[in-house]
Amino acid sequence: MNSDALRADSVRKIYRGRNGPDIEALSGVSLRISRGERISLLGRNGAGKTTFLRIASTLLAPTSGSVEIFGRDAIADPESVRPYLAVVPQEGKPFMHLTPREQAYSYLRARGFSKETAQSRADHALEQMGLTEVADRLSITLSGGQRQRTMVATVIATEAPLLFLDEPTIGMDPFARRGVWESFKELTTKGSTILLTTHYLDEAEALSQRLYIVDQGRLLAEGTADQLKHRVGGTLRVSVVSGDGISQQLATFGPIVRDGDTVHVITGPGDLKEILALAAHSNLTTTVGPVTLEEAFLRVVGRSIHDEF
Amino acid sequence: MNSDLALPAVSRSRWTGLGAFIGTELRVQLHEVLSIATSVIVQAVFLVFVAVLAREYLSYTLLGAVVFSTFQIGQRVQNESAWIRIDHKLHQLYHASPMTPEAYFLGMSVGILLAYCLPIVVLFTASAILVPLTVPAALVLVAVLGAEFVFTASVGYMISTWFQNMRSIWPYSTLFFNFFGVLPPVFYPLYLFPQALQPWVLLLPTAGGTALVEEARGLLSLPTAWVVLAAVALVVAAILAFVGAVYWARRISRER
Repeated sequence: MNSDALRADSVRKIYRGRNGPDIEALSGVSLRISRGERISLLGRNGAGKTTFLRIASTLLAPTSGSVEIFGRDAIADPESVRPYLAVVPQEGKPFMHLTPREQAYSYLRARGFSKETAQSRADHALEQMGLTEVADRLSITLSGGQRQRTMVATVIATEAPLLFLDEPTIGMDPFARRGVWESFKELTTKGSTILLTTHYLDEAEALSQRLYIVDQGRLLAEGTADQLKHRVGGTLRVSVVSGDGISQQLATFGPIVRDGDTVHVITGPGDLKEILALAAHSNLTTTVGPVTLEEAFLRVVGRSIHDEF
Repeated sequence: MNSDLALPAVSRSRWTGLGAFIGTELRVQLHEVLSIATSVIVQAVFLVFVAVLAREYLSYTLLGAVVFSTFQIGQRVQNESAWIRIDHKLHQLYHASPMTPEAYFLGMSVGILLAYCLPIVVLFTASAILVPLTVPAALVLVAVLGAEFVFTASVGYMISTWFQNMRSIWPYSTLFFNFFGVLPPVFYPLYLFPQALQPWVLLLPTAGGTALVEEARGLLSLPTAWVVLAAVALVVAAILAFVGAVYWARRISRER
C-alpha cells in the first residue's frame, strides 16, 4: 500500500487578472506527506499557503502539476478522494442558527455517520475544544474564538484520514490553542494525517513533525523545527536594536539577519561577551536568547513572518 | 507514524448525506420566522389591492400568488447558497467530504422549500376554498409547483455562484425574480397581456405555469397548442435548469 497520504508535484497556480496582471500564487510546489504525519506550512500572509491547501483539498484547480491523495489522482478525479478529506477553511464560520452540538452532529450525519457515532464523536470533539458548556447555545451568541473552535470541533470529529486546517487557531486564546494542539496530536495517533497552515511560529514548532517554509509561492525549506534552527548556524541569537551601524563588525561573529532596525547575530556562547561589549560601546540595547524558529524563518526568507507583502 | 492503516470504507452513493443536509438547512431556516412570515408580503399586498380594486380578478391573483411564492424559493436558495459560500465558507466543509455537490445543492434547496412551504400551503388552501379548485386543477397546480421549484431552485443556485460578494447579488436577485415573477401575467390573467406577445410569455415558467393552472380550473380558455407550448416549456425549463445546476454544482465544487 502507498504510504503517502499526499504527494504534490510541481503544483503551479496562476490567478488570471481580470482587471490587472496575472498573479502567480504557486510556482512549482512539490511535497510529500506520509500517513499519520502532522505537517505545517509556515509563511507570511499571501505566501501561497492557502492556495496550496485548497488545491490539495480538491477545492481549487491548479494551473499545472499533480496531486495524489492516498495514491489517487486528486486532480483528474477529485470525487474519488473527497470522502477521505475534511477541511477547516480559513475564516470559516459555523451556521449561526445552530448550536455547536447541532453543527458538529449534523455535519457528521451529512458525511454518512450513524446517529450514535455522530452523537458520541460530536460530544467528544466539543469536549476536546472546551465547548461543552456552550454546546447548546446558538453560535450567533458565541465569541469569535468559540465559533472557530466550533469549526475545528466539527472537522476533527470526522476523524477523516486526511485533514486540512487553514489557520485553525486564529482568534483563539493561548489556552484554547493548546487544547487544539492536543486534539491534533490525538488524531494523528489514531491514524489521521494533518496538513495545517499557520503563521504562528510556536504553533508550527509545537505541533509539526515536519514543516515547510513557504514564501512567494515557493517552498524554501523543509525539515523538523530543530533541523531548520540548526541551519541558522549557531545556538544563540543576539539582537542589537538599531545595530545597523555596527553590522559589519557583528557579521564577523556569525550570520546576521535584519528585522526592521534590529540586527540579529546568530552565534555561540564563546563570542557573546565580545558582542555585548561591542554593542555597549555604541550604547545600543541588546538582548540574548536561544535561536528560535523565527531566526530560521528570517534566515530562510530574509524577512520576518510578521511582515506584510 | 501509521503508514500501514487501511482507508475506511466509504459510501459510493451520490446522495450520501442528502437527508441530513435537508434537516440542517431546515433547522437553520426555521430560525428565520419573520423572514418566512414576510415571504408572502408582496402576494398579500397584491391580493388586497385586487380585492379592493378589481375583485373579478381575485381568483387569478390567488393562483398566481401560489405560483409566485414557489418561484421565490429560488431567491432564498440563491441568497442562502451565496451567504454560506461567501460569508461562512461552509461549502468547503461539504465539498471536501463524501457528500456530492449535487446532494449539497439539492439538500439546501429542499430544506429551504420545507421551511418556506407553510405560506405556500396557506395560499394553496385559500385557493382551493376560494377559487375553488377542482381536483384536476389541484393536481395540475401541484405538478406546476413541482416544476416551478425545480426550475427556480436550480437557477437560484447557479446565479449564487457567479458573485464574489453579497452586495452585488442583491440587486440582480431582486431584478431577476421580480421581473420574471411580477411583470408577466402571473397575478393577472393572460388575456390582459398584449395579444401578440401572449404565446411568447407562456414560455416563461411563471406565466406559463399559472396559465396552465387557470386553464385546468376553467378560468382561461387557451388554444390546445398554447397549452402544449406552456407545458412543454415549463417541463423543458425545469429539466434543463436542473441538469445545468447539477453540472454547475459539480464544476464549481472545485474553483478555477
